[in-house]
Amino acid sequence: MPAPFPQGFLTMKSLSLAALVAAFTTAPALAHVTLETQQAPVGSTYKAVLRVPHGCKGAATTKVRVRIPEGVIAVKPMPKPGWTLETTKGKYEKAYDYYGTPTAEGVTEVSWSGGKLLDEHYDEFVLRAYLTADLKPETTLYVPVVQECEGGAVERWIEIPAAGKAADDYKFPAPGLKLLPKK
Amino acid sequence: MNRPFRLLLVLLGLAIASLAMAGQALAHAALTKTVPADGAIVASTPTEFSLSFSEPVSPLVLSLIGPDGTSRSLTRFVLTDRMLSIIAPGDLAHGTHVLSWRVVSEDGHPVGGSVLFSIGSPSAAPVVTTQSEPAVRFMLWLGKLGFYLGLAFGIGGAAFMAWVTPLPAVARAPIAGFLVLGLLSVPIAFAAQGLDALALPLSAALQPAAWQAAAASSFGRTALIAGLALLVALIVLFVPSRSGRLLAALAWLGTGAALAVSGHASAAEPQLLTRPAVFLHAIGMAGWAGALLPLALALRQPDGALALQRFSRRIPLLLLFILLSGAALAIVQVERPQALLTTPYGLVLTGKLALVAALIGLGAFNRYRLRGAAASGRANTRSLLTRIIAAEIAIIVAILAIVALWRFTPPPRALAATAAQPASVHIHTEKAMADISVTPGRTGPVTITVSLLDGEFGPLAAKELRLALSQPEAGIEPIERQAIKQADGNWQVSDLTLPIAGRWTIELEILVSDFEMTRLKETVEIRP
Repeated sequence: MPAPFPQGFLTMKSLSLAALVAAFTTAPALAHVTLETQQAPVGSTYKAVLRVPHGCKGAATTKVRVRIPEGVIAVKPMPKPGWTLETTKGKYEKAYDYYGTPTAEGVTEVSWSGGKLLDEHYDEFVLRAYLTADLKPETTLYVPVVQECEGGAVERWIEIPAAGKAADDYKFPAPGLKLLPKK
Repeated sequence: MNRPFRLLLVLLGLAIASLAMAGQALAHAALTKTVPADGAIVASTPTEFSLSFSEPVSPLVLSLIGPDGTSRSLTRFVLTDRMLSIIAPGDLAHGTHVLSWRVVSEDGHPVGGSVLFSIGSPSAAPVVTTQSEPAVRFMLWLGKLGFYLGLAFGIGGAAFMAWVTPLPAVARAPIAGFLVLGLLSVPIAFAAQGLDALALPLSAALQPAAWQAAAASSFGRTALIAGLALLVALIVLFVPSRSGRLLAALAWLGTGAALAVSGHASAAEPQLLTRPAVFLHAIGMAGWAGALLPLALALRQPDGALALQRFSRRIPLLLLFILLSGAALAIVQVERPQALLTTPYGLVLTGKLALVAALIGLGAFNRYRLRGAAASGRANTRSLLTRIIAAEIAIIVAILAIVALWRFTPPPRALAATAAQPASVHIHTEKAMADISVTPGRTGPVTITVSLLDGEFGPLAAKELRLALSQPEAGIEPIERQAIKQADGNWQVSDLTLPIAGRWTIELEILVSDFEMTRLKETVEIRP
């Protein structure tokens, strides 16, 4: 049975809008290091996919370092073929509750090195972590990333917007994640 | 769930996603290479400039600011993939140029920057002086002259009468006249000083701003001390009192103090030498010049010979004050003998020295050829002596008129010091503090030194420091430079030429640690 008119109309409209939205949402991947999923509730496990769209001014990426923000615990980075995975452990500012277990130390920095990601290629770096309930919902959590490249070039995606400013106002904004209330 | 509702949900989800993305990172094109390279010195005029970016761009504004500060927009360019080739104008002058670019990358986000390059060699700093209008300068000169005359003949005269020889009431009138002239000149010179400082026209002479500016300058102190000294001298002249001699001495010393607290000479280093030298020079001058008028009047009196004798006893000491202090100041101010003829300041000094030589010649003639004869009371000798003294007074007036010109001619020492004066700015935020100095603080090649502290005056161990200088008014997009850490812990950028004067914006990008960055921003005024 053929679909009634309103349904087809809606489909057409939603598709064209979807295409429009898609056109806008793909643009950001072009130049900055960003997170794939840009919102998550606090008190939940979050899979961070860091998208690295290019090298440092044309040079190939050889190392990606991620600073784990305070309040993010139980970090488990995903190994990546061709890259050496390393973590730095340290003490947190306080003990966080991880499903009933007080957690006062853990991974504070993750790095993938030794690989070679050409400027004209794209890749993703993944880690899984727990966003503690101590993080404030309705704020943006910034995850500073340092991208090191061949020939000593470095791009630091570490700028955290001041109050009243948007990430867009900065040249090297840190990837951000909007925190939602606990489910 | 039926199909329309499901599609509506999809639509809603995508709309929310797009909202969430809004304000998120957009693509910024990065400049990867330029020809000529930023900071380069090229031997010959380039025919083309090229800018290469990390992704395709299209230009919004391209402008070239020349060594003379004029800006022109570049409209002839070719885009090939990620490279922008710009046809250079054919008539580029030697010196430093700024190629300022602003482009938009695929996502519609504009980015800008500047490339600095010099043809032949970096621009030398141009010599430009700002001058106030001639009427203000004339008023200032006249005010200074009247002021000097009041100090020399008024206060000097009153002191001579109090200490050396009293004169009948009628002889007080000319001296009182000079004192009043001095008192009237103080506000005139004061107002003119303020007008000159602010480069205001003569019509603004009564505006509070001019007077405030003058009060804020060192001349404010000079005017205050001199005004008091002139008043005291006037009182001593007309109100005889037991403490008259003491007050007269105070007024006389006041002339030295007034001149020692301001002016080019007093401001010169070493201050321990220059300020006392100016003081001695001024009291010596007032002592000598001030004696002449009472002396000429005394010589008409029967007991004039006594006054002449007393004057002659004192004059060598005063002359010693004047010559020694004058020589010391000249050495400090002129620095090189050839500056006596090659700089306006030196020429004024040369003119003054010629008149001083004539004055000393006349004085010596009086002393060795006429004094004995005059003392013995021969009337015609006395009248010749009186005429020579009148000539001396005229020469002193001329000297003071010339000296008042110094106000407009900074000494070679000050010219060199002004040129080298840095432009400084201090930034204090919660996170960091920076002291920035641009040396010299004028157009041309400069060195920028930055010292960093944290928000609580503690040391700030930065990993890296980048500086970006821009001048939005002139359309110059940021010129970026990496600072180099010095042995003393300060940061320095030395490969920079600032092509034009005005208000520049300096932005510091301080890398505190691998993952932490602080930005500071302030403006600094660069002189022409």
